[in-house]
Amino acid sequence: MGNLPLANILRHKLRSVLSAVGIGIGICMLVTLSGLARGSLYEVADRWESVDAELIVYPRIWGDNVTTLSGVGLPDRRIVHLPEAHPDIVIDAVPAFLWRMELAGQDQLVVGVDSAAEAWKRLTGGRTLIRGRWCEQDVRADDGRTASQWLTETLLADEPDTTPPGESPRLPDWPETQPAGAPRHDAVLSMRHIQAQLRQRGGFELVIDARLADAGGYHVGQTVRAGNHDWRIVGVVPAGGLGRVFMPRRVAQFVFGSGDIRVSTLGFVKLRDGVEPGEAAARLTDATRQAVQVRQYRHMLEEKFGVMFRYVDMVNVIALVIAFLFIMVTLYTMVLQRTRDIAILKACGASNGFILRQVMGESLLLTAAGLVAGVGMSFLAAWGIETTRPLLTVTITWRWLVTAAGVAAVGAVASALYPAWRATRVDVAAALTLE
Amino acid sequence: MSENGYIIEGRDLVKAYGTGRAQVRVLRGLNLAVARGEFVSVMGPSGCGKSTLLHVLGLITPADSGVVALDGEPAPDGEGGRAALRRERIGFVFQRFNLLNVLSAIDNVAISLRLRGQKLDGNVRHLFEWMGVAHVMRRRPAEMSIGEQQRVAVVRALAHRPAIVLADEPTGNLDSENAEALLALLVNLNRQFAQTIVMITHSPAAAAHADRVVTMRDGRILHATS
Repeated sequence: MGNLPLANILRHKLRSVLSAVGIGIGICMLVTLSGLARGSLYEVADRWESVDAELIVYPRIWGDNVTTLSGVGLPDRRIVHLPEAHPDIVIDAVPAFLWRMELAGQDQLVVGVDSAAEAWKRLTGGRTLIRGRWCEQDVRADDGRTASQWLTETLLADEPDTTPPGESPRLPDWPETQPAGAPRHDAVLSMRHIQAQLRQRGGFELVIDARLADAGGYHVGQTVRAGNHDWRIVGVVPAGGLGRVFMPRRVAQFVFGSGDIRVSTLGFVKLRDGVEPGEAAARLTDATRQAVQVRQYRHMLEEKFGVMFRYVDMVNVIALVIAFLFIMVTLYTMVLQRTRDIAILKACGASNGFILRQVMGESLLLTAAGLVAGVGMSFLAAWGIETTRPLLTVTITWRWLVTAAGVAAVGAVASALYPAWRATRVDVAAALTLE
Repeated sequence: MSENGYIIEGRDLVKAYGTGRAQVRVLRGLNLAVARGEFVSVMGPSGCGKSTLLHVLGLITPADSGVVALDGEPAPDGEGGRAALRRERIGFVFQRFNLLNVLSAIDNVAISLRLRGQKLDGNVRHLFEWMGVAHVMRRRPAEMSIGEQQRVAVVRALAHRPAIVLADEPTGNLDSENAEALLALLVNLNRQFAQTIVMITHSPAAAAHADRVVTMRDGRILHATS
């Protein structure tokens, strides 16, 4: 038997297609914007969770939410001593210096990490290079020292770190870094000398992740300008590690930490098997140092950017309301145009419930078509966004698809209510006698 | 079956449209009773209230006062109960056929049956054949001639085996050949199956096919002839 709502939809193809597309755009906005906002944010959270560690330690003064931290933070001493101070719970503690540099048109998280293989492995989540090599492996200086070694021995050799825990260490004086015979306090010359040293010792080298390489069209061997320095890309690591850019920690500390190579941003702490991270975090937290679980970072992001989610959700609501107002007007117009058909059905004994179901059915069918179109458009939009802006992540989840379907169903019913009510009020005699 | 044998009756029916000075009294205490198996034609000039009478008898429009009784039972006042009686007891044939344009002939009949909780069966196919429109079952109204459309409308009116068929100018939009064919079918229906029919018409020739012709003027029955 013919389905009247379907027959009506098929009879007015253009109007039906436009209605479905209108709903589809609303659904697409809901799925894509939510997928983009949450996808990009959760991609960051995923990267932090990829680190092979359970805890993050950072200065307590920074508070409970450290999602945007970078630069000078916790003295290295307060990080690296943890395995020794808490041997029963801590296996390893890796300091990391975080910074941001603009590459491929947007700010990227730069992770300064020690050249030791173990540190790289921990911060990249065990990812191995797919092209090139790690930093500081092409030392052309006569003494064979890497940039990190040279910086450490030059800046810290005669200055044991006696800074009390929790206090920032004092900066080394510039003259110590100057070559013999150079004018004292000539910072420019000094920096030139240091940069030359770092360059020939593999200091200004970067390892980037594959996604950044694709987005920026970068390749191994290429020199890029960022953060007022020229950097040579020496390796590419699969995407998903903590940062999109890795560099020697000492270099990052020196270049971005105002020359102070004794302070990192934070530390990642690897716990012994079976140690409860919450209890361990409590133990490692003291007056000046805060320890939180790595997995809390996701929650911190949600807290920090919750306003953005609300904004996106509000835009989605507006888009959907407009889409369903469009449906309501369409259905209302259809009811006005179809009073004769409605009158025929009522003359045949159709109840108000039957008439209401026909209008609802039409709305639900249009919405179902719009939902299918919207989901299709969402995947297309996600593909388009990730193709043209490879650093953006659009995550389309079942949860949001189901949410979109639920919202669409509710919207379909709500937008059909008034037209359906009007349909039940059609004056049969008047409609049938109209010539 | 009512005690007096009437399958449908209108007693003292009054119906007016509009209010105040613009009020038009269309039915003015009209009485009409139709016996089971009777074929009644209602004639009269335009505006005399024929269609309103049909709508009131068919429970589409409630009368302002008076009673419509089916098998002696007064019809209920509420739209729900009236719609239920329309579904069960009455079949309509309209001047403009009033088929649903988006559905095929068979689907027009099917949706009418669905409203009555019935399904298409072999009898419907026989009805299409009997009415000479079996070849257009799968066609939409726009793909049929007007004569075919009207016969399909009759099939739809009869498919659920109504006690009464109310036809409002069923030949009004047909040429003489199609009109004559349709009237012959209605007469056959009445003769063979004792189908009760009340037909509104302007045409004395069409009215002449009925057992009884009722003439209306100014909202009242002027006279009846058998």
